[in-house]
Amino acid sequence: MTTIQQPRILGAGVNRVDGPLKVTGQARYPNDFNLPGMAYAAVVRSTIPSGRIRRMDTTAAEKSPGVLEVITHENADHLGEAPPSFVKNPQPPLQDDVIRFYGQYIAVVVADTQQNATAAARRIEVEYDRHEALLDPHDPRAERIKDPWGEDTAWGDVRTALNRAPVMIDQTYTTSENTNNPLGLFTTVASWDGDTLTLHDSNQWPNMIQQVVAAMFGVPRDAVRVLTPFVGGGFGAGLRCWSHIPLAVMAARHVGRPVKLELTRPEMFTGLGHRTASINWIRLGATRDGRLTAIEHESLTTLPLDGDEYEPCSSVSTWSYASPNVTTRDQQVRLNIPWTNFMRAPGDAQGNFALESAIDELAWEVGLDPLEIRLLNYAEVDPKTGRPWSSNALRQCLEVGARRFGWSERNPEIRSMRDGHELVGYGVAGVSFFWYQQPCSARVIVKGDGSAYVRSAVTDIGTGTYTIMAQLAAGLLGLEVDQVEMQLGDSSMPVGTAAGGSGLTAALGSAVHDACGRLIQKFVDLAGTDPFSPLANVPFEDIEVSEGRLFRKGEPTRGESLARILAVHGLTELSADGNSTPNSPEQLGMTPAGARGARFVEVRVDEDLGRIRVARIVTVNDGGRILNEKLARSQILGGTVGGVGMALFEETVTDKDTGRIANATFGDYLIPVNADIPDVHIEFVGEPDAFNPIGVKGVGEIGLVGVAPAIANGIFHATGKRIRALPITMDMLMD
Amino acid sequence: MTTLTVNGTEYPLDLADPRVTLLDALRDRLDLTGTKKGCDQGACGACTVLSDGRRILACLTLAAQCDGREITTIEGLESHPMQDAFVRHDAFQCGYCTSGQIMSAVALLGENRAGTDADIREYMSGNLCRCGAYSNIVAAVREVARNA
Ligand code: FES
Ligand code: FES
Repeated sequence: MTTIQQPRILGAGVNRVDGPLKVTGQARYPNDFNLPGMAYAAVVRSTIPSGRIRRMDTTAAEKSPGVLEVITHENADHLGEAPPSFVKNPQPPLQDDVIRFYGQYIAVVVADTQQNATAAARRIEVEYDRHEALLDPHDPRAERIKDPWGEDTAWGDVRTALNRAPVMIDQTYTTSENTNNPLGLFTTVASWDGDTLTLHDSNQWPNMIQQVVAAMFGVPRDAVRVLTPFVGGGFGAGLRCWSHIPLAVMAARHVGRPVKLELTRPEMFTGLGHRTASINWIRLGATRDGRLTAIEHESLTTLPLDGDEYEPCSSVSTWSYASPNVTTRDQQVRLNIPWTNFMRAPGDAQGNFALESAIDELAWEVGLDPLEIRLLNYAEVDPKTGRPWSSNALRQCLEVGARRFGWSERNPEIRSMRDGHELVGYGVAGVSFFWYQQPCSARVIVKGDGSAYVRSAVTDIGTGTYTIMAQLAAGLLGLEVDQVEMQLGDSSMPVGTAAGGSGLTAALGSAVHDACGRLIQKFVDLAGTDPFSPLANVPFEDIEVSEGRLFRKGEPTRGESLARILAVHGLTELSADGNSTPNSPEQLGMTPAGARGARFVEVRVDEDLGRIRVARIVTVNDGGRILNEKLARSQILGGTVGGVGMALFEETVTDKDTGRIANATFGDYLIPVNADIPDVHIEFVGEPDAFNPIGVKGVGEIGLVGVAPAIANGIFHATGKRIRALPITMDMLMD
Repeated sequence: MTTLTVNGTEYPLDLADPRVTLLDALRDRLDLTGTKKGCDQGACGACTVLSDGRRILACLTLAAQCDGREITTIEGLESHPMQDAFVRHDAFQCGYCTSGQIMSAVALLGENRAGTDADIREYMSGNLCRCGAYSNIVAAVREVARNA
């Protein structure tokens, strides 16, 4: 009983099980909790990027109507250090007078209403000693960190290969800062009961928040309960314990009441981190017929003064295409900026833009079809280790996508296709995404009536975890989907991992798979103790499950229902815990391939105005086994929209003199609206992946990757202008 | 005392503080938290409700302005076909924009602006969806508009 049965349940496009709650306004997000006696907090942020607080005058704020408490570094609790998870967490706020970036929290005001808290927060006066800030990545005084993760890679001899290459591309590609901006305002509702603490909190990893808060406030981990059954998106923003969380907890302790701290939209720009800007230097060497002989890829990204970030932009160049000589190097530079942080496909989004633009340039240089050059350089095996891939349908993604799109109708000449005053261009990009998985656990319980529930302290940020895990457990236990309930979003459940890195489905799914196997074993053992059971003496390997019954393979009548086994033994339920840890590539003798994909876009550029419109998109992806096609399509669609944003709209603009984010509102920071998104054709190819027992590769992020270079490549085809900087705006296309 | 009429129920509201928006009144005072706050600046549409049948942004409306108006929120829809269509077309992911999208979409039907996909896209563009469910939202609205 280790294989996945019931294919009619797995993969089926069943509706989101939490859908009815979401369309009736009944799903409760962290800021929807109003607790009895609850007070409201408002934060005060620094208005310089670097320096010290000389003096703070809180008198007016304290006297303001309804104010219960004003906390600054002068009266803040001394908090313990924030432990790291797989990355650092911000150290506790209000512990000193040092300003490290514009927008850093310097006070929190608590009042009886939000209006009173917000009004009082504006009345705090601050005097600073300003220091010169580091804001320019090229500032020689800024600290540079080379090879931050020990992942710089080299094989072959890139120097010699580049020197000898008959054709070379040597270009620089840049991407702007982007801000995750989940629509849900991140909120913490903190409530102490003696020494125990309950948080309704927006995050993507309740156990991490629990651990960090417990350490800061010096209470046992079990004394902190973090509840996140619903969160209004994250896209990576919820993967660290941001400073507003301990601020809310501290405020609740000070006033002895529950406190709600809801960030405002502008505060979401400084308080949760953002996607780093990147500079990518790429050198490609190739033969005259377009075969790669060398790839050199270096990147520079930014860091805040006291944080870290995993953004290996150059890594894509180690696994995307076959090349005998490859060198990749990443560097980071520390600045007085708000935290850089994960945002949907960190590193990959930027690195792929650079590589896929460069490959396109190479295609034009050697006179090859941009689709052909990608097929020509397809990596049959992992180019770094020579090991086979756990699965890789990139070739199919490109071929199927090209057919659906009608790539063959493309006129290969630039500026050759037009429709009225619009120049039409076709662009393509390939995507090879990374693979990531963390340990995870889950408990599966079958109840007396034969239905089941699954518990794990993870979150469903909109990806569909509630639904697909119910489907998976139903498939493994031989139940219907509506007989299984997935419970999540509570740190007191079995320890769960982050909803991030496109790794949750593999991690949690493998844990659920393990738990279901153990649970069926328990049922078989239990039945075996009953000499009258038709399952007595049937070895475990010969057991099958279907329709809530265990039976002997090939003998459907020789069996018993789960409910009956429980009843016979006087049990109300039976449960089993399951765990998953990532497999090792060495042991399996294969390289885990993340998802693969291809993007085809038609862009239209107004010849006079430079106005850019994406007319249609075809996105084909290999996500391994797709547990629910309807929901997986939504992930790809959402990623595609994010990719259009990255390509054409999104840019977090920091004022070069003050370090202030100048466009921290939805009016100024543009994200795609409905009218910006054309028809998107989404398709899946590939097979179940061999690297984990359920055969999945995550699809949460890949949809975004490759959209920007496909658009840039299409713009080149339409206009003859090669734009190497994101976002691409109309001014860049005007003569 | 102001009287807020929400989903057919009259709520007497002590609005000593004139700064209270309709959105905050709904969410903080009446515990009608189905209406969401995404920006509080009139730029995202998450707070869309109906006022006498027309869609408005609750974050840009003071509660005190609503005396005598009929406010309808997501909690006031009674199994509207739009809700069902949103579920079947998977027209959301995190669900945070959904109340606003559905209220906008319901109003759109009455505005006769759901005739073509281009119209739906255009007139639903005041409602941001950061999860990017746009094409599925269009599909849901199109279906309900056709069947209306
Ligand atoms: S919350 Fe009202 S428009 Fe964004
Ligand atoms: S569903 Fe998340 S913002 Fe629309």
